[in-house]
This record gives sequence, C-alpha cells and structure tokens, in this order.
Amino acid sequence: MARSLGVALVSLGIGFVLVAGAEVALLADQPAAPLWETALPPAAGLVHAGAGLLAWWRRPSNHLAVVLVGGAAVWLLTGLVSARPTSLAVVGLVMATVPLGVVVHLLLAFPSGRLRSRISRWTVLAGYAVCLLLQMPLYTLDPTGSPGGVLAVADRPDLAALALTVQKVVGMGVMALTTWILVGRMRAATGPRRRVLGMLYTYGVVVVLLTPLVSNLIQLAGTSAIIVSDIQIALLTVVPVAFVVATLRGGFARTGELAELSAWLGSGGTSLVSLTSALARALGDNTARLLYWMPDTEVHVAEDGSVVDLPHGGAGCGFAPVEFGDRHIGAIVYDESLVDDPAVVRQAARVIAIAVEQRRLEVELRAKQVQLRMSRVRILQAANQERQRIAQDLHDGLQADLVLLALEAQQLAAQPGTPGATAAAAVVLRGHIDQAAADLRNLVRSVMPAPLVERGLAEATEDLVDRIPVPTSLEFDVPERLPALVSNTAYFIVAEALGNAVKHAGASALTVRLARLGETLALEVSDNGVGGAQPNGGMGLRGLADRVDALGGRLSLESPTGQGTRVLVELPCGS
Amino acid sequence: MRVVIGEDEVLLREGLSLVLVQGGFDVVATAGDAVGLLAATRDTDPDLVVTDIRMPPDHTDEGLRAALQIRAIMPQVAVVVLSQYLQRRYAIELLAGAPSRVGYLLKQRIADVPTFCADLHHVCAGGTVLDPEVISLMISRARNRRGGLDSLTARQREVLAAMAEGRSNASIARLLTITEKAVVQHISHIYAALGLHDTPDEHRRVHAVVRYLSE
Repeated sequence: MARSLGVALVSLGIGFVLVAGAEVALLADQPAAPLWETALPPAAGLVHAGAGLLAWWRRPSNHLAVVLVGGAAVWLLTGLVSARPTSLAVVGLVMATVPLGVVVHLLLAFPSGRLRSRISRWTVLAGYAVCLLLQMPLYTLDPTGSPGGVLAVADRPDLAALALTVQKVVGMGVMALTTWILVGRMRAATGPRRRVLGMLYTYGVVVVLLTPLVSNLIQLAGTSAIIVSDIQIALLTVVPVAFVVATLRGGFARTGELAELSAWLGSGGTSLVSLTSALARALGDNTARLLYWMPDTEVHVAEDGSVVDLPHGGAGCGFAPVEFGDRHIGAIVYDESLVDDPAVVRQAARVIAIAVEQRRLEVELRAKQVQLRMSRVRILQAANQERQRIAQDLHDGLQADLVLLALEAQQLAAQPGTPGATAAAAVVLRGHIDQAAADLRNLVRSVMPAPLVERGLAEATEDLVDRIPVPTSLEFDVPERLPALVSNTAYFIVAEALGNAVKHAGASALTVRLARLGETLALEVSDNGVGGAQPNGGMGLRGLADRVDALGGRLSLESPTGQGTRVLVELPCGS
Repeated sequence: MRVVIGEDEVLLREGLSLVLVQGGFDVVATAGDAVGLLAATRDTDPDLVVTDIRMPPDHTDEGLRAALQIRAIMPQVAVVVLSQYLQRRYAIELLAGAPSRVGYLLKQRIADVPTFCADLHHVCAGGTVLDPEVISLMISRARNRRGGLDSLTARQREVLAAMAEGRSNASIARLLTITEKAVVQHISHIYAALGLHDTPDEHRRVHAVVRYLSE
C-alpha cells in the first residue's frame, strides 16, 4: 500500500514538473518580461506541489496535502497571466488572487486538512469568493483590466475602483474572522504545539494582509510593479513550506496508516509499550495513549499501571473506546487538533482491539502454560517417587517374604519328622515360590530397576544393554549425576526403544548413545532393522514422548522403511 | 567357621542366621547397616562375611561397597554378597583383583539350604561362587560382543563358555560331544592363550572364566 502510494505521488510530481516546464516554455516565447520573472508563478506552483506531495507521503491520511496540491494547480494557472495567447492569459487573470484564498484555506484547515467547524468552512468559502467573484468587476468593468479588454463588458473604471474597495473591505473581514478563529484555536492548544501554531498563524495572517497592502506600500516608495509582484509571490511561496515544516514538526511523524498498523500487529512479537507507540505513529499523534480497562476495579489504566480518567471533551482531547465483542477492554485517548477524523481513531480502536485482547489472552495463556508444565512435571515427579516407593516396598516386603516362605518350605522338607510325600511336595512348593520370586524380580525391574536406584543412569543403562539378546554398543558420556527425574525418564526411553527394536525391528545390531551437551541430555537409540516405525504406533513411545514433552524436551523418530530406526531425545537437565 | 551377617531386614537376618547355624557356621555378629557391618568385621575378624547390598541409610549399594572394602583391607576374609537383583558390573567389581574367596548370589538361593551352605563352604575354602543367573547374563553378553579373546578358536570359546557355566570337564565333554581328553587339551590351550601358568588348576579355571566374562 505504501509502495503504490509512493508510485502515485511520484507520478503526480512528474506531472507537475512537466506541466510547469511546458508553461515556462510557453512564457519564454514572449519578450514582455525577463524569463525569471514570468517563471516565478510556475516555480511557486512547484514549491507547493513539492510540499504537498511530501506531506501526502509523510501523512497519507492528512488532507492538508490535498489543499497544497490544489494550491499548486492554482499557481500554475495564475502564471498563465503572462502568456501571449489571450485565452490563456485570461485564465491567469481570473485566478490572480486565488493564492490568497488558498492561504486562508491552509490556515483554517491546519493541521488536519479538514474544515471541521461550520464557521471555518464559511470563512474559507468567503475567502475564495473574495478572490474569484469580487475580482470580477476589476476586469469586466475596466477595459484596461484584461489584455485588449477582452473580458470587459462595460467601461466603468469608477465602478471597478469601488468594487476594488469592496473587495478589500470584505477581504479584511474574512481575515479578521480567520484571525479570530485561529486565536481561539491557539488558546485551546498547549505547550510546544501552541508555539508552532502561533508562529504559523502569525505568518499566514501577516502574509494575507500584507500581500494586497504591499502593492500600495511599495508603489508609494516608487518601486516597479514587477518587483512588487515578485515580493508578493515570494511571500506566498514560503507559505506551503512553512505549513509542511509545521505539519512534520508539530507532532506528525511518518504515518503508519491503519493498514500499516494492522500489518505491524500481524507481525507479532509486539509488547504493550510498542503497541502504544505504533498506535501513536498510525494516528500521527505522539500524545495518543492506549488505556486498558480493568474490569475488577472499573478504571482505565495506562501502561505504567497508573489510573487515567477519560477526557470529558472541550480540552482538545478526545477518546475512542476499544471494544472486543461487546466487552469494553480499553480506550484510545488522542489530541483532537492532531487527529483529523474521529472515525479514524474508532477504526484504529477496532484494529487494535484484537491485538489488545490477544495480548491479554497471550499473557493469560502463558501463565496457564507455565502452570500446566509445572503441574505435568509434578505429576511425573509424583509418579516417579511412587514407582520408587513401590519398588522399595516390594524389595523390603514381598521379596523378603518370598525368601522366607521358600526357606520355610525347605525347612519343612528337611525336617526329620516330615513324611516323604509331604517333603517332596514342600520341595516343589519351594520351586514355585522361587519362580514367583523370579517373576517379582522382573516386575520390580520394570517398575524401578535396582541399578537405577543404587547407582544411576550409567549402570542402569549398562545393565539394560547387558540383557539385550542382540549385540548392542553403548556410548555413555554423562559426567555428573543427573536429577532423578531426568535420569529415570532417559532410562525408560532407552528401555522402551531397545525393547521395540528387539521385538519389532528384527535388528542385528543396536546402538545406544547418551551424552550431556551443556544443559541438555542427548539420547539416541538406533538399530539396523526394518524401519517403518510409527511415532504413534506403540502406546509406549507415545507415553514417553509425553513425558519428554512435560520435561520441556524433544523426542523425534526417524524410521525410513528398510533403513533402521533412530530415536532421538533431548532432555533439559539444568535443574 | 565364624560368620558376620549384614542384613537390614530383621526377619531375613534371623532366617539367615538360622540357616547358617544349621549349616554348621558360627554367627559371631550381625549388623543392620554397612557401617555396623564394617565395624563388626573389624572387631571379630571372621572367616566369612555374608551381606545384603541395599542397606540403610541410603538404600543404594552400601552393602556392596562395604564388601569391596572388606576384600581390600582384609583379604583373608571370604565375602558372599546377596541381592534381590544381580548385575554384571557388581560381579566384575567383586571379582576384580583376586577372584577367590568371593561369592555373589541371589537372596532367593538362601532357601536351598544345602546348596547355599555348600557354596559358602566353597568360598571359605578359597573358591568363587557366582549365581547361575549372573553367569548366564555375562555369557550372553560375552557372546554378543565381537572381538576379545580373539586368539581363541570357536571350539575353545565354546569350552570356555561351558567352564563359565560351572561345568566339569566330563560335563563339557558330554555337552560338546567330544572326549574328556579333548576337553583337557582345549582347556590347556585356553590357559596358554590367556597367559595363565604356574597356578593351581582350579584357580586357573576361575581366572580364565573371569577373563572371559569381564571381556
């Protein structure tokens, strides 16, 4: 969007340069005056056009640029007054004083470019009427007022002189009204803005008043009419430059526009602070603030948490509510003198509402995620401790009991008084008890293997590999002892992956690698089997992936068909 | 034979005491943790220590560490370690240095009183006893590993594996359907290959097996 705007503005600028060039070429054709003098109005037009296009680029939503570009067109037409073809010269003649009307328009439309009060609209209209309508008697009633008197309908110089007086008086009236409005606006303004407005307004009013007067004053001093007109043009040409400087310095940086604002919001990674500054940029109002509605305390707060009351109006401050669905979630407070259109702020409020709500939800979600992760870790920890407790209980209880039971059976068999059949049965019973003890050993091993409890991950993995009926190489490079939860999780991953490889992969060689890389435990179990394992194929691996996830780690499975299987796991082991 | 027992489970400790007394041993002291076991062993200078692995206060491997310490500082004392779970690493640690006067058995073996007592006497006499379960674990691992004992022929490795299972020469001959004389020849080749000379035959046999299993 910004790009297409740039292209359009550059095209418009080139158009202005071409038209102005053509006009200068046309004026150069006649020897009535030196070229630099006849070229002054087109030059003034180009200055207006340049200022207008710059303002347009910097603040696309500001209509002041339109007024400036319009002023540029007026200047180009005004310049035609020196053209030799009478038809063109007449156009220039009719437009001669319109630049003054443009200045009035600029003054009253600054800074937003719009005329918001009825009185300002009427004043601008009156200004243009003075320049166009009240100018008419000067060339219609006086044959010397136009080249060869082509526009004269009567030869009444006396009436023309009267009309000139009327024009001056009405023009003064328009300027008085303008000054009154501007003084009112300056009173409403505050701080540095008042100073900028003051300088600009003073300059504008003085130029408008001085331009008609300068002819009288300087003619009295005996200066030529040509010089007088040069001074007038120079005074008026400075006006657009002053306006643009004031526009850009008066708190308007490069406007983001709403589209740019939403694009920026869409890019993500935004903080609340930058949300406000983006909003201020988009609105072209550095003082714009985003307030958040606190439903619990029913107040608006600024980003720093301070409570802010919404403006009541009249102080030059406006606000637009930020709503999400039918919920009030905040407000945008802005400077009415800087933001041309309240509708734009309301639109910005809608654009930003999603971001404000999203931000709120993000914070909420993050908090919940942290809680969730912590609770998952707690559950794992509890399960881990429970496994350890069960294994210990079985070790101290049932396993010991089975030793004693087998011993009793053996004692019974060996007792001298025991009948032969009973003794034989007791021996068989002892064998059954031994078998039960063996089953129990396997159960305890699957719950929480002794090497893991007694020594740690290295010995436990080694013991695991010892019991794998397939040649398995083990590389273990973990210097310090790991937190119990990490080493237990790692152990059960290796156990599950090795079990799967033996059961399903048909592998003839397995490799287990465990290494600590900084704060991460990297684990790899690979085989040369048939591959084609599915991540969700076995509940075992799925459950392990969940455990890894809960610890903030990563589990990945590479298992191309026919090319073996590789389980890769990274577990954070910092704390 | 004077015996010190290390076992934290009271009932098991008493059961074990009973078995040992019935088997003709003199139980001179019992301890419920590793520190007590070390102290009692130092105080009584027994012929044999029988100890559990997992004991207070940490319930990890303190019994094994106590056993290793006793073997290091009192090599004349025979040591038998009992456990609910057997690991190859613990066996290797126990067999390190001189593989004699040492045993490593599942606790469940206590119940087979005659065999258990015979094993203890064997250890006291300078022998080595490894639980069949840990032996088979070590053998299967040794079979799974390539390399090591490379100078041995396939047949010699078979004989060595059978030796590790605790078989006699006659039993190995039957297993491999060769003559006992051939077995003896294979075994002497194994001794030569492993550099085992000038020691009594039974010790050489144990050394060969331990070398094989630790490989």
